[in-house]
Amino acid sequence: MFEKVVEIIREQLNMQDVDIRMETSFEKDLEVDSLDLFELVMALEEEYDVEIPSEDLEKLTTVGAVIDYLKEKGVEE
Amino acid sequence: MKTRITELLGITYPIFQGGMAWVAEHNLAAAVSEAGGLGIIAAASAPAEVVRSEIRKAKELTDKPIGVNLMLMNPNAPEVAKVVLEEGVKVVTTGAGNPARFMQDFKAAGVKVIPVVASVAMAKLMERSGADAVIAEGTESGGHIGSTTTMCLVPQVADAVKIPVIAAGGIADGRGVAASFMLGAEGVQLGTRFVVARESIVHENYKEKVLKAKDIDSEVTGRSTGHPIRQIRNQMSREYLRLEKEGAGLEELEHLTLGSLRRAVIEGDTVNGTLMAGQIAGLVRKEQTCREMIEEIMEEAERLLHR
Repeated sequence: MFEKVVEIIREQLNMQDVDIRMETSFEKDLEVDSLDLFELVMALEEEYDVEIPSEDLEKLTTVGAVIDYLKEKGVEE
Repeated sequence: MKTRITELLGITYPIFQGGMAWVAEHNLAAAVSEAGGLGIIAAASAPAEVVRSEIRKAKELTDKPIGVNLMLMNPNAPEVAKVVLEEGVKVVTTGAGNPARFMQDFKAAGVKVIPVVASVAMAKLMERSGADAVIAEGTESGGHIGSTTTMCLVPQVADAVKIPVIAAGGIADGRGVAASFMLGAEGVQLGTRFVVARESIVHENYKEKVLKAKDIDSEVTGRSTGHPIRQIRNQMSREYLRLEKEGAGLEELEHLTLGSLRRAVIEGDTVNGTLMAGQIAGLVRKEQTCREMIEEIMEEAERLLHR
């Protein structure tokens, strides 16, 4: 799932050239603002067919947190 | 004019007065509501009890609906939300963030929630969270801004959501209102024009700067901080931009602007104060009552829309 999530991040935020790891923080490392995060959430919902309520956005701080969150939602791959 | 917005809120005209910090207090909000629009009290960073007193004072001046703008980045937002519920306010607009955590309480109390959005994705998520409408605010606005223009943002948001869209940013007369409706909006929010309203408590010096502003006098500071702010250029904005260019840190920049909006609005310091205003300030030419403004704007808009 990591590779796919990274691919979505690169695609959505136009960050082809940035090093992205599990511990990468959206705010601190990628300087992603709330609007970017909304874009990312929409893309993740579409890819994994889940609904991410907007009150959960604050949990999605790092790449690893996104993956954990998706797993909790029952996403396997 | 009837739209889904006037029906939703029980107001005569689909015109909101923006939730401008320091400016949007009870006198202005009550005057706009009394004239048939939606007056909005800006909670900004005020203590919750100050907001309560503003709501009560506004209610003494008008029986018509009044809104409160909740500034979500403010640490005391939960207390302000509580005051809004306790005082029976029926409309809340939200800025600078995601109102999802308050949505349930507001909905349960029958409060209409109208978030300000700066992108299509944000508008869609707000709709799904239960927002009753969204304010699509373009970068032409004064104060805190996003980056997409009203002309581009409004039709895209209108296509993306089913709830009504209110256009904001760059609107100051009937032409702007008519154009917004053409783009798919069912309401508009104006800020800068109301800054110079007779009922507005803004210092005369500040009003004078807005009235005299030209089309090119608008400046954006704070792009490096991620929280850009639009204002009329003056010594303060030039000093800020100089520091920004030199790579000054957030702390230094915040120190410079500490209290600067209050200095401009209340004390009339147009040199070291921050004169927040939208790009449309150049079009704002006369001080009128809110009623004169709203009636003039709507008369022109209706004429253009029915032409």
